[in-house]
Amino acid sequence: MSDFDALLKARGVSETLGANITAGVFNRAGSHAAFALGDGSLRIADGKGWSRINAHEGAVLALAPDCSVSGFLSGGDDGKFQRVGVEGSVSEIAGFGMKWVDNIASFAHPKSGLLACTVGKFVHLFNADGSKLRSLAHPSTVSGIAFDAKGKRIAASHYNGASLWFTASTSETPRFFEWKGSHLGIAIHPLGEAIVTSMQENALHGWTLPEGKHMRMSGYPSKTESFGFTKSGKWLATGGADAIVLWPFFGGGPMGKPAVELGMSDGAFIKRIACHPEFEVVAAGFDDGSVIVADIVKEKILPVCGPGRGPITALAWNASGSHLAFGTESGFAALVDFSRQG
Amino acid sequence: MPDLIPVTILTGYLGAGKTTLLNRILTENHGKKYAVIINEFGELGVDNDLVVDSDEEVFEMNNGCICCTVRGDLIRIIGGLMKRAQKFDGIIVETTGLANPAPVAQTFFVDEDVKAKTRLDAIVTVVDAKHLLARLDDSPEAADQIAFADVIVLNKLDLVTPEELARVEPRIRSINRYAEIHHATRGNVDVTKLLGLNAFDLGRVLESVPDFLDEDSHTHNEHLNSISLSLDAPLDPEKFNIWIGHILQTEGQNILRTKGILSYKHEDRRFAFQAVHMIADGDFVAPWKAADKRTSRIVFIGRDLNRPQLRRGFESCAA
Repeated sequence: MSDFDALLKARGVSETLGANITAGVFNRAGSHAAFALGDGSLRIADGKGWSRINAHEGAVLALAPDCSVSGFLSGGDDGKFQRVGVEGSVSEIAGFGMKWVDNIASFAHPKSGLLACTVGKFVHLFNADGSKLRSLAHPSTVSGIAFDAKGKRIAASHYNGASLWFTASTSETPRFFEWKGSHLGIAIHPLGEAIVTSMQENALHGWTLPEGKHMRMSGYPSKTESFGFTKSGKWLATGGADAIVLWPFFGGGPMGKPAVELGMSDGAFIKRIACHPEFEVVAAGFDDGSVIVADIVKEKILPVCGPGRGPITALAWNASGSHLAFGTESGFAALVDFSRQG
Repeated sequence: MPDLIPVTILTGYLGAGKTTLLNRILTENHGKKYAVIINEFGELGVDNDLVVDSDEEVFEMNNGCICCTVRGDLIRIIGGLMKRAQKFDGIIVETTGLANPAPVAQTFFVDEDVKAKTRLDAIVTVVDAKHLLARLDDSPEAADQIAFADVIVLNKLDLVTPEELARVEPRIRSINRYAEIHHATRGNVDVTKLLGLNAFDLGRVLESVPDFLDEDSHTHNEHLNSISLSLDAPLDPEKFNIWIGHILQTEGQNILRTKGILSYKHEDRRFAFQAVHMIADGDFVAPWKAADKRTSRIVFIGRDLNRPQLRRGFESCAA
């Protein structure tokens, strides 16, 4: 029998962190990974050791890299939006009392970096230094946010559609993309050609930009909790099924084109997807705890970690794509080195 | 089966005493920890470590079922609560006074993630003994809240005379004959009668359904009422599924709740069936005991129920 953990054993470091892992990301330098936990802590890993930072009371609900090269941003059910340094510093950017900070995004730029967090029906937008820019109001609770590749726009998903705002504008009205139902998360095409949301009804919905034509991607056996575009924007990689479902965003797709499925499992569903920052490569984490990496062009699958350590709840590449971080609901966390060795 | 966290829905019209009851539950010395989800800050604060304040956000499912409304905020909050390292023994959801309980209850049937972590324990409705009759006359929500209840706390008894009470209780019974009623003053009900009831585990509930003698005795002009049907012959599961599916599809907007304990042909286990409006769920539960008479029972609570039609349909499901 092949050993599905071979890569983890040969090129990985791992740790049992003792609480539900809710998110994981690398900093922009790619030197450190942070895992957000249900006990309010962040655990920082640099490939050699693990450190603990007590950042929130309650659970950490959201995590993103800061605009700086090394730090992180975190949000919790204690209503705090914070900046966390790898050396252990924690500073509050904003506090929201009893409300939860559910989602965080950042856009790095030497001059015009931006931070955003969602609290209830609002997206709060900040400069990179943490000074408040403005608050964007929505008709219902915001379930997901994404900056476009240039930081010019931010998209938010909510009931009955998505809202697209210009970050530099002071307009009170976004462009509203309507589709009835509860939208749970959002992504923007890297070349700005579409926005896509995941939905309560085990489907995704998209709108072309700038036309706003509808795209409907359905047929999933469970909710798509995680999805993203590949670097080129040619593929939308999605979870929620027992294989990575890839929708072609080229040649007139995805409408009227079949989705490609890669990495079929034996009945496990994909919980997390992470597209590689350089190549047409996707990592996928399943609800049985297994992790694979799929090369879309070669249609090849590389097992990274076998099942049995809890559903995957965190999955991220570093900026150069040399390292993959993943974590599970039961608190298992690992970094795997994919860089050329020898 | 993993340990599912029990969820209690606490409903009741404005001013019925929900928050007082909630604080009594939370401060009673039971050694248990509860997460509380509230939708409006009343004048009375809620006395608990873990209180989540959210807006009631109802949406319609795109599943072809017109009355299938769900509370998206609950899905999100329950997902968030499950991430916490600090565990708790239960979740209490307090709805706003004007809320229809259906979307809350339906959330626990419809969302797979919520179903994987929690179970609906009971719907507890607090009613104000002094003002209930007036409320029933002027607001349909008040009647709906009674119709949905597994447990009714008849509160503010210190404010009514025995004569007034004698008018209120039959009125509640005319809407919902199958809920347990507890009398209370300032919410003084033993917490064990409100939480951990497994009221949605029907194995037990319908055993306490009162006898069928008073079947057609309700004389009120209430549109909402409850009826129960029984059948001694074993049921054919396929026939039952077709019939109940059709009934809920066509009448589900008017049928608020359905509960049944069924005896299927060639099956020693009891089948527990339940529905909130059109959304149904069912499972085999504990087997019939040797001494049991294997009578299938089904209860409908709803608006303008057609008893003869339902009875004929149910009887046609006999194997």
